[in-house]
Amino acid sequence: MSIVTTTDLNRRFGPITALNHLTLELPTAGVIGLVGPNGSGKSTLIRILLGLIRPTGGSASVLDSSVRSPRNYASRVGVLIESPAFIPGLSARSNLVSLARLRRLPLGRVDTVIEQVGLAGRDREPVKRFSLGMKQRLGIAAALLSDPELLILDEPTNGLDPAGIVEIRELLRDLGRNGRTVIVSSHQLSEIEAVCDHLVVIRFGELVFSGPMTEVLKRTREHIDIAPEHPADLERLEAGLFAGGWSVTTVDDVIRVAAAADRAADLNRAATATGVTLSRLIVAQDNLEEIFLEMTGRVDGELANGRAAANGKVA
Amino acid sequence: MVAAVRSELTRLGQPRMLITWFGLMALFAVLVNTIMVTFVSGGGSLPPGAPGVAFPSLAEMESPSGLMAGLAAASNMFGIVTLSFWAMATAGDYSSGLIRLLVAAEPRRWRLLAGKVGALLVVTAAATTVAAIVNVLAVTPMAVPAGISTAEWGTDLVAVVGGAWVNLYLSLCVWGVLGLVIAVLARSAAVAISIGVGYVLVVESLVKMVKDAPSDWLLGTTLGAVASGGTATIAYGTALAVALGYVTLGLVLAGVVFVRRDVTD
Repeated sequence: MSIVTTTDLNRRFGPITALNHLTLELPTAGVIGLVGPNGSGKSTLIRILLGLIRPTGGSASVLDSSVRSPRNYASRVGVLIESPAFIPGLSARSNLVSLARLRRLPLGRVDTVIEQVGLAGRDREPVKRFSLGMKQRLGIAAALLSDPELLILDEPTNGLDPAGIVEIRELLRDLGRNGRTVIVSSHQLSEIEAVCDHLVVIRFGELVFSGPMTEVLKRTREHIDIAPEHPADLERLEAGLFAGGWSVTTVDDVIRVAAAADRAADLNRAATATGVTLSRLIVAQDNLEEIFLEMTGRVDGELANGRAAANGKVA
Repeated sequence: MVAAVRSELTRLGQPRMLITWFGLMALFAVLVNTIMVTFVSGGGSLPPGAPGVAFPSLAEMESPSGLMAGLAAASNMFGIVTLSFWAMATAGDYSSGLIRLLVAAEPRRWRLLAGKVGALLVVTAAATTVAAIVNVLAVTPMAVPAGISTAEWGTDLVAVVGGAWVNLYLSLCVWGVLGLVIAVLARSAAVAISIGVGYVLVVESLVKMVKDAPSDWLLGTTLGAVASGGTATIAYGTALAVALGYVTLGLVLAGVVFVRRDVTD
């Protein structure tokens, strides 16, 4: 069963096509990562799912109800979209109380979510005194208020310190394990890799990938990073390896060689044959960031969209 | 809709905002009463078409309704204050980004708008009460030393005070709705306040200076007449009808725009 379905979903903003015939199905339960370069259409997709904006074509449904009638599912969805937005002059508690009243929820839920996100003891302070991390916790608390089946969180760990990130990561995992669906939109790919069961990648409003995280990580390849003892030898080493048929790229003072771990000894010998002594040889795997960059083509979507609009073309 | 009103009332309960709103109402009540008593006792009068202020004659001041004359005299100033706070409460949802959270929580946007209007009507009633109380407290000790007889001020006290309160409240509600409409359209409190203040102080004053200008339908003049319970040139019923027209038009416009427009940034 899919918790979110889109079919041929389109949304244009003037000359820019934010979503381009996006067809997607997101599974129920678990944590789903939504990633893409800036301007890829993530925020537009989220806004359509929440009924904030209307699609210009195609269809979408959330919890089996069309996005054209968001009132059918609004009470079952919690959201943190873009930055946490609250009344700065009011206390954290009053902000949550106002949202609880709007959603006709018992005020006991306010205490529950304050406890859940670790704001107990600070909840009576005005939000204007909160750090970004505390505002972020408050934003997550607001999203959790209705004990929703579907949570949509945009950059949930933004501004949190390392301990806070781990804490929120655990919270999201727990929610996913307990049958809720959590959609996390983030640029922090290490976070996505650490917490998500399913990954969706979009670029220029089109679907690039949607599937289990395990499937993505199968695409990882081993590589070997090497560095010469003397940085001046870097160019000679790279040229020598390239001439020997190795696939090499240089980043700063490290040469990355596309090769599996079992070729480390061969590589070491090849380096020695060029007359260069290695100071470092590390076998590693591509991480999600590298796979993401490969999928999305290393472009900034906003810049690309801007150029396309300036040229009168659809991005 | 009750939920939306209660939710909005919680958000409006910011101490600093309420203190500023009520404080400005009290300040203008004292200020206008001080100037009014000075002018009336000295037999002076403001130049015709002075923006936002209409003072009573000495005879009117000494009548039972003289006790509350300051409310009507300052009604347009109270109106500007009310317009500003309605605009800030509305546009603030856009500038803070809170509107995204509110619309996601209550997609029936007309309910959100109705809740905001309902809650602001409640706070406006409180602000009107503050203005009325401060008006009475300010004018009473000033009148006798200025040579204004207060002998009749106790006559029909409840009707006089209640009538003045209702008239001011009605006019302030229209001012408030105007602020809300401009804020929904502009999504900016600064723009809404600038338009409101600019209209009353500049546009309406200029129009009034034109001979035979149809001032009966001008917003400030009409609402001044509502606050005064009618004037020599505009009957109370006419003023109420025109004001009702402004409110209806404004709410329909705000409602259509609020419900249909995308919530983007």
